[in-house]
Amino acid sequence: MKTPEILMVDDNPADIDLTSEVLAQSKQPFHVNAVNDGAEAISFLRRKGKYAQAPSPDLVVLDLNLPRRDGRKVLSDIKADPALAKIPVVVFTTSQANSDVIGSYELGANCYLRKPGNLADFIAVVQSMAEFWLCFASLPQKEKR
Amino acid sequence: MSSPCHYPSGTPEQSEGRSATTTLAIDEPRAAERPQQVRARLRALLVEDEPADVELVLRALRQAGFDACGDVAQTAEEFTDLLRSNSYDVVLADYKLPNWNGMESVEVLRREGLDVPVIVVSGSLGELTAVECIKQGAADYVLKDHLARLPESVKRAMRERRLREEHKQAQEELARSNQDLEQFAYVASHDLQEPLRMVATYTQLLAERYRGKLDADADKYIHYAVDGALRMQKLVLDLLAFSRVGRQGSSPHSTDCNIVLRAGLENLKTAIQESGAVIQHTQLPVVMADSSQLLQVFQNLIGNAIKFRGSEPPVIQVSAEAKGKEWVFSVADNGIGIAPEDAESVFVIFRRLNTRAEYPGNVIGLSICKKIVEQHGGRIWVESEPGRGSTFRFTLPVKPIPRGGYGQKNENT
Repeated sequence: MKTPEILMVDDNPADIDLTSEVLAQSKQPFHVNAVNDGAEAISFLRRKGKYAQAPSPDLVVLDLNLPRRDGRKVLSDIKADPALAKIPVVVFTTSQANSDVIGSYELGANCYLRKPGNLADFIAVVQSMAEFWLCFASLPQKEKR
Repeated sequence: MSSPCHYPSGTPEQSEGRSATTTLAIDEPRAAERPQQVRARLRALLVEDEPADVELVLRALRQAGFDACGDVAQTAEEFTDLLRSNSYDVVLADYKLPNWNGMESVEVLRREGLDVPVIVVSGSLGELTAVECIKQGAADYVLKDHLARLPESVKRAMRERRLREEHKQAQEELARSNQDLEQFAYVASHDLQEPLRMVATYTQLLAERYRGKLDADADKYIHYAVDGALRMQKLVLDLLAFSRVGRQGSSPHSTDCNIVLRAGLENLKTAIQESGAVIQHTQLPVVMADSSQLLQVFQNLIGNAIKFRGSEPPVIQVSAEAKGKEWVFSVADNGIGIAPEDAESVFVIFRRLNTRAEYPGNVIGLSICKKIVEQHGGRIWVESEPGRGSTFRFTLPVKPIPRGGYGQKNENT
C-alpha cells in the first residue's frame, strides 16, 4: 500500500514541525506535505506551477486563519471543485469560537479539531486524527489523474 | 374633515429681522451674542379645536420671549401624521375636543417612541382630572384663563426633557464603553491563545526531550517556563469565559431552580464524593433566568464551599426565601470563612486571598457569579467570619428586569 499523503496548510512553522514530528513517530508511515498559505494550498491541489508533480493528498489538514487566501475560502474552493470535493478536510485551528465550528461544517469540513494548548493533548489529537482518517476510515480509491 | 393648519412664528417683519441677524452674525460674530436678540425657538403641536385659543396660546408664549410656531391637530390621525413628518418641542393639548380626547396624545407619543412633553391646556379642569392627566404622563396642566403660567411650564418641561436626554445619552455611552471593554477582553484573550500555545507546547517538548541531559538548573528553568505558560493559558481561558458572560446570554426563561441545582450537583459529583460533603436544600422557586448561567452560579458557589472547607466534612445548605419583589438565595457552608475586610474583594476578578499552593486554580468563579447575578437584576454578597463558615446570598427579581438584548420571550421548561 502506498504511504498516505497529507497536505497540511498552516502559516505557523512551529505547528507544521510539531505535527510532522508526531506523525513521524507513529507506527504507520505518513507523508506530510506542508504549505504556508491558502493560495499555495490551491496551487498544490490543482498541481499548478511548481506543484505540477505534487501527489494527490488523501487528507487535507487546514488552518483557518491563513495569509493570502483564508482557510475558509480554501475550504469552500475544495468542496466546490468536483475533482477535489472527495478529499476529507480536517480543520485544525486554535479558534474555539462556535461561529468558526458552525461555519466550517457549513462549508463542508469533514471534521473540526481545535489545536490543544499543551503538548500531551496535541500529540494525542494529531495521532488520533491520522489514525482515524488514514487507517480506519474508508476513503475513495484514488483515480489516476 | 379639517386639515391640520400651520401657524408660523411671529410676524413677517420679525422673520426678516431674524434672517438679517443671521447674515450679520457671519460677518460680525459678536452681534449674535447680544442677549435681546436670542429668542428660543419653540415648535409646538397643539391639540385644539378653537382657532382663537391657538392664537391666545401662541401669543402667550411669544410675549414671554419664545419664537413660537405651531401646528394644530384635531384628531388622532392628524396628530400622528404631523408627529411623523415634523419634530416638536412640546405638545399643548386641550383636554376635551369634539372628536378626540387630548390626553390620548400621551399614548400616541409613547407608541411612536417619542419623548415630547405634553402640557394639558384646558378651559376647565377639575382637580381630579388634572391629577389623572399627570398620572397618565402629562408634564403639567395649565388653565386657559391662566395662560401667563404657560411659558414657565413649557420651559420646565423642556428642561426636564433635556435632562432625560442627557441621562439617556450617558447611559448609552456607558453601555457602549462596557461593550467595547468586553469586546476587547474577548479579542485579546482569543488572540493571546495562539502564541501562548507555542510557548507551552515547545517548552513542554524541551522538557520531554532534554530532561536530565542538561543540568539541574536547566530542568528547573524549563519547569518554571512550562508552569508559567500553562497558568497563563488558564488565565486567558478564564478571561474569555468571563467576557462571554456579557456577550452570550440567552433570553431569560422560566427556570426551575431545583432542576438547575440538581444539574450543578451532578457536575460536582466527584468533588462531593471525595470531600464527603453533605448538601441540603429547601424547595427552590421557579424564576425567570438564563438557566445555563444560573447553573454556573450554583455550581461555583457550591464548588467554592467544598473547596474552602475546614477540617470537618463540608455541610452546605441551599435555600431561598421571598422578600418583597425578590428571591433571596443562600448557600451556607461550614468552611474556613472569610475575613470581613475581604467580603467585597472575593468578587473581584483574579483577586487571590490564599496562596496558590493552598488553593490552586484561578480566582474567577465569584466574579462570574457577580456578573451573572447583576445581569439578571440581582445582587450578591457574603456574610462570614473566619473559622465560622460563609453564607453567600444573591437575589433575583421575582419579575425580571428587561435589559438591552434580552427579549421578553417566555419558554416553559
